Amino acid sequence: MQLGFAIDQRTCIGCHACTVACKTEHDIPVGQFRTWVKYVDDGSFPDTTRSFGVMRCNHCTDAPCVKICPTESLFKREDGIVDFDQERCIGCKSCMQACPYDAIYIDKDTSTAAKCNLCAHRVDEDLEPACVVVCPTHSIWVGDLDDPTSGIARLVNDHVTSVRSPEQNTGPNVFYLGADRAVLDPLAAPVEDTYIWAKPDAQRLANAGDLPRDPGSTARTTLNTAHPRPWGWKVTTYLWTKGVGAGALALAGLAHILGIELGGVGDYVAPLLGLFGAATTGALLVWDLKRPERFLYIFLKSNWTSWLVLGAYVLTVFSGGAVLWLLAALLDIGWAMTALAWLALPASAMMAGYTAFLFGQAEGRDLWQSRLLFWHLLIQAVMVGSGALALAGLFVDLSDDAWNLLAGSFVVGAVLHLVMLALEYGGKHATRQATVAAHIISSGRYARTFWWAGVLPVALAVVLGALTWGGASVVLLAVAGLLVQPALLAYESVFVRAGQDVPLS
Amino acid sequence: MTLESDREITPLVLPGERTHERLRNFPPVADWDHHVEYDAKAHPRKVPHEYMLVPTTCFNCESACGLLAYVDKSDMSIKKLEGNPAHPGSRGRNCAKGPATINQINDPERILYPLRRSGKRGGGDWERVSWDDALDDIAAKIRAAIVEDRKDEVVYHVGRPGEDGFAERFLLAWGVDGHNSHTNICSAGARLGYSLWGGYDRPSPDYSNAKVILLISSHLEAGHYFNPHAQRIMEGKVSGGAKLVVLDPRLSNTASHADLWMAPWPGSEAAILLAVASYLLRTDQVDRAFIRRWVNWSTYLEHLHPDTPVDDFDGFMDLLTEDYAQYTFAYAAEQAQMPEEQIEELARIVATAGSALSAHVWRAATAGNLGGWQVSRALFFLNVLTGSVGTKGGTSPNGWDKIIAHGPNVPGGHESWNELLWPAEFPMSTNEMSILLPHLLKDGRGKLAMYFSRVYNPVWTNPDGFSWLEALTDEALVDCHVALTPTWSETATFADYVLPMGHSTERHDTQSYEQYAGKWLGFRQPVTRVAMEKMGRIVSDSRESNPGEVWEENEFWFELSWRIDPDGSLGIRKYFESPYRPGEKVTVDEYYRWVFENSVPGLPEAAADQGLTPLAYMRKYGVFEVSKDAYRIDERPLTEAEMEGSTPDAHGVLRKPVTLDSTPPLVGEAGSVGLVHEDGTKTQGWLTPSRKLELFSDTMVDFGWPEYAAPGYIESHVSNRSINQENGEMVLMPTFRLPTLIHTRTGNAKYLNELSNTHPLWMNTLDAARFGFATGDLVRVNTEIGYFVARVWATEAIRPGVIGLSHHMGRWRTSEHAGSRWAMGLVDLTKTDDGVWKLRYKEGIKPFKSDDPDSERIDWDDPGVHQNLAFAVHPDPLSGMHCWHQKVRLEKAKEEDQYGDVVVDTKLSREIYRAWMATTRPGPSASGLRRPEFMMRPVKPTRRAFRVDGGRPQDQGADV
Repeated sequence: MQLGFAIDQRTCIGCHACTVACKTEHDIPVGQFRTWVKYVDDGSFPDTTRSFGVMRCNHCTDAPCVKICPTESLFKREDGIVDFDQERCIGCKSCMQACPYDAIYIDKDTSTAAKCNLCAHRVDEDLEPACVVVCPTHSIWVGDLDDPTSGIARLVNDHVTSVRSPEQNTGPNVFYLGADRAVLDPLAAPVEDTYIWAKPDAQRLANAGDLPRDPGSTARTTLNTAHPRPWGWKVTTYLWTKGVGAGALALAGLAHILGIELGGVGDYVAPLLGLFGAATTGALLVWDLKRPERFLYIFLKSNWTSWLVLGAYVLTVFSGGAVLWLLAALLDIGWAMTALAWLALPASAMMAGYTAFLFGQAEGRDLWQSRLLFWHLLIQAVMVGSGALALAGLFVDLSDDAWNLLAGSFVVGAVLHLVMLALEYGGKHATRQATVAAHIISSGRYARTFWWAGVLPVALAVVLGALTWGGASVVLLAVAGLLVQPALLAYESVFVRAGQDVPLS
Repeated sequence: MTLESDREITPLVLPGERTHERLRNFPPVADWDHHVEYDAKAHPRKVPHEYMLVPTTCFNCESACGLLAYVDKSDMSIKKLEGNPAHPGSRGRNCAKGPATINQINDPERILYPLRRSGKRGGGDWERVSWDDALDDIAAKIRAAIVEDRKDEVVYHVGRPGEDGFAERFLLAWGVDGHNSHTNICSAGARLGYSLWGGYDRPSPDYSNAKVILLISSHLEAGHYFNPHAQRIMEGKVSGGAKLVVLDPRLSNTASHADLWMAPWPGSEAAILLAVASYLLRTDQVDRAFIRRWVNWSTYLEHLHPDTPVDDFDGFMDLLTEDYAQYTFAYAAEQAQMPEEQIEELARIVATAGSALSAHVWRAATAGNLGGWQVSRALFFLNVLTGSVGTKGGTSPNGWDKIIAHGPNVPGGHESWNELLWPAEFPMSTNEMSILLPHLLKDGRGKLAMYFSRVYNPVWTNPDGFSWLEALTDEALVDCHVALTPTWSETATFADYVLPMGHSTERHDTQSYEQYAGKWLGFRQPVTRVAMEKMGRIVSDSRESNPGEVWEENEFWFELSWRIDPDGSLGIRKYFESPYRPGEKVTVDEYYRWVFENSVPGLPEAAADQGLTPLAYMRKYGVFEVSKDAYRIDERPLTEAEMEGSTPDAHGVLRKPVTLDSTPPLVGEAGSVGLVHEDGTKTQGWLTPSRKLELFSDTMVDFGWPEYAAPGYIESHVSNRSINQENGEMVLMPTFRLPTLIHTRTGNAKYLNELSNTHPLWMNTLDAARFGFATGDLVRVNTEIGYFVARVWATEAIRPGVIGLSHHMGRWRTSEHAGSRWAMGLVDLTKTDDGVWKLRYKEGIKPFKSDDPDSERIDWDDPGVHQNLAFAVHPDPLSGMHCWHQKVRLEKAKEEDQYGDVVVDTKLSREIYRAWMATTRPGPSASGLRRPEFMMRPVKPTRRAFRVDGGRPQDQGADV
């Protein structure tokens, strides 16, 4: 059984009755919507057209929000409804990243995720959803799509229908009849400075300038709702701190395995950086929750398909390893150090790289779906980790071998980071959405930050690091190590922002 | 009350009930008294709430759609409002404004207690007052006016009434000719065109059965009966394959669904329609039999072609074709500034309609233009020619699909004629000349002892608001102003009393509107009160169940009338006594019990079938369908009883004897009952003097407008010819509505505000380029009396040469504590020494603290531009319609300009007023009438009052 909607745009008059009936049924805060009507104007006078599109959760057959939700707050019911239980929700917003339809928001009253749940509380009582009841032109149909005899199934089977973002392969269960492609395609109709009777939000306005214009189309969005970026500086920052910690510990482990003595830098600075990275990451993660007091739900109500859960365990294991490393170093237990050094490599890799799997589950953010991301995160960790250790190295007496290891790792890491950036932003992207996001970074409104704060310092650092590697003063490497830290932060900030900037509705 | 509890009762099949598979759209009626629903917010935890479902009627726009209130039995709060599936007009469905009613009920900014101003009028200082004190003071003033024969100083000014018959009743009971509607800022233009044809002032298209739907207004988003009509237009289009044609200079949502969207130059619509008429005539695609039987073609011949025998129908058709031959496609195209081919396409589409042309114009072109009434007249001409009058899929008159249910002991006609409302200059005006009130007061034509503004906001809604403001703040002109309103309005700011009246869930009214080929009576009721009573609590008046001390008007008028005439000596009290308890004050229950038992055909029987009293039936279902499938009522044979005592006049009109003391019906002439046809059949006919459809109007001749005796085209005051685009001139179309707001009534609905909250000036990209404007640029729009400053939207959604600025926005308040902060910006109102007014926003909309956390989440800031302030009055000399469209001159905003500024010189307002007054042809008519008797007139006086000499010379001049 799969309940779903069919929306007949041939008869929809764009009146917003559904929008408001939904809001009064669910008592939804001002500024937030479970369903709304998008308007698109197209053409030139006198051949101007206006099209409407009713936007909402697609109750996907393969719902990415359910997969990513760490606490099973979002779940798929037997009848196909993608429902949610706000009492389990920790407010991590990952579902908002996973949803390719802008359907989920954090309710301002409850600080938990919410979305259209097909009025499950009504359906349980054999009543239609509120939007279906109110619609003046009966343009919204509800029913079991799997039952070929149902009204909705006959409607969908007998007509040409379309769905939003089919390329996301989520199995959407909202079918549109007679919808204009420009309404369903979030990239087809940028906003032009104003809506017909409301103001576009700043993010949409800013995006409009960066969206590619189809030369054959004059479609512009004339009414829509705001979908601010769910993740901000906290996520950006932990991408960096995680990298530093993971990279530092990994290098210490590598040095130990290679028999290169890093002294206090390897014994104490590296594990402390590791702990610092894990702790700040954990703290930022919890801080970023809308219901931080529920953070333990990650462990108590775990959804094992969610990389937020698996990531939390990675963080925990990594932190434990860093503590053991410290203890082993303090107590000078050689065999333990060796064992931990071997363990540090995969643990650090997971620490730095698990985010790639989490971002991979963020199906709504095509930029983050890059197959390079895992390797890129590892490379970044090597770069900022070795850079940080090099800085620390100034304050202890390190051997030439140690400096060579640090300089070599740093230069290789930084160069590979640049190579990754070149691949990421110079190459083709799998989807239009990713292409647009990459464009925003490399030549759109984030280009200045990207090139001047993200790329140039790294290029400079490569030169400085190479000089040290070639025998020049280690101070140059330390300076380079310092340079790449804000550079990576700058890059992560545009990477995190641009990924979420591209409109999904 | 159960009449026969042991009888088997067949449950009603509700017109809006639906079940798809196992899902139904509404709980079954049997459960309405104890419906359990689970808390949506607590879901998936099952937290049950037990509700009582009580029907009522929406009070936002004029559609009067059914609502079903969910009253939580645990605390008697209203949880939400859905549609009422029992309602045959709205059929359980609503637009956004229906469910948003809950915002209005819970609005933290609403007025909960009676207020009396404590400083100077308009000063913004208020104090709480008891209902008793307010009633005593108001009653004393009205009593004095009645006793001292100053009845015309009492005026009740109503916005969309949302009810039928009640205001008439108390005014007639008081003997006061004081009904002042908002109609001439709304629909007076359309009404005149329709009235001239058939007497009835409104059309009732049968959209769902139409072959061609021709709209000159935006009925899929506003129109007249938005939601009920949108349902049926879409049904006609989808199920019946009807072609939809929309004429609108702007791409409305309605136009976006049209098979043919035409964007003519404003005011040219009549020329286009006449070109279509001419095409139908010359290609002989007309219904000759219908025309022969129902059009007063003999009169046409008699006056315009006296050489042709009055019984030569074929000769008439030839002459008619010839007379309208001047309206060629080329001519119309020139007037409309659009391609000839499009007009021809329209003509060809109309010709395919057969007798199923559903055509409608409401407001829009008829409200925008000088002579706009010829647009509705020309449109109905197409119905007449195609024989699509009263047919299935055609267009009926509203009167066939509407019922006014009166209470007991209806007061008789009075003999007053209030010239402040019905000035002699406008004998043909379809309604009161309410736009002129401040000017007539300033002219010294009278003054007001008591002015009620009832859910009406003329300072904001009417043109020339600064003149209203001047009149309302002049205590020599307006002694006492009482604002009856649920929420703050600009006008209430200038009242002496602000008396809180209920929203749709807090008041009683009945209403009936023509929305399909059938007739229903809706019942608005205070839902909490009804639920309380059903649960066994005695509620003696609606204040006990309403929030704060919010009341309802019916009980207020009962009480006020008793206080005006406490001992009955004025003959007023008797109309407010119980029909069941002689000499006692009537209760609302008794009033509506009587109405439903006596004034609604079929209701007592239908109620009995359900084992209910008529009142209990209406409390349960909220509506009753009186008739359906009502077609060709003009052909209804007259009964012997109806004809008794009547004799046919020279034109076959059956008339009963009348005297000067007879009161004509609301529409139609006193004594006129029907028509004897050539073939001897006797049918009801129409409500015109000839009881036929009047292609030629004798009335127009009698009132001195012979050139407009037949449908024609009047060049608008904003015609293409009169606009010098080289000089920066454009036509401003300020009238269009948004689907999500309704005038100033929905300003307190947060779920509507968050959707619609900015006010761009629509301007075609070509014009924008011409002026060098980009979207967002500030533009100064100069009118005849001042200017306003707006923000440009360069768009393809409006025709070049025309700019548009929606209605609804530009709300303001002058003080922190009297106004609705959801929608009103804080302004400075200043006036220079030489009388130039300026409105400037000090603050836009911003978040505020209240009991509702949403008020701190306001993310909109634009209060809009109050354009109406900058419009002078433009009364059409015939219909009295305020001709809304403005000839404006655009320029870039100046350094000192700020968005939303409005600057007006009311001295210029006076000049424009006088200029338009000079175009009138004052009554009386050649036959001595102040106004045609057959035309609709609220609070209709006796025939004597229609005559200037009245047969009683001593009455002359009594109004001055």
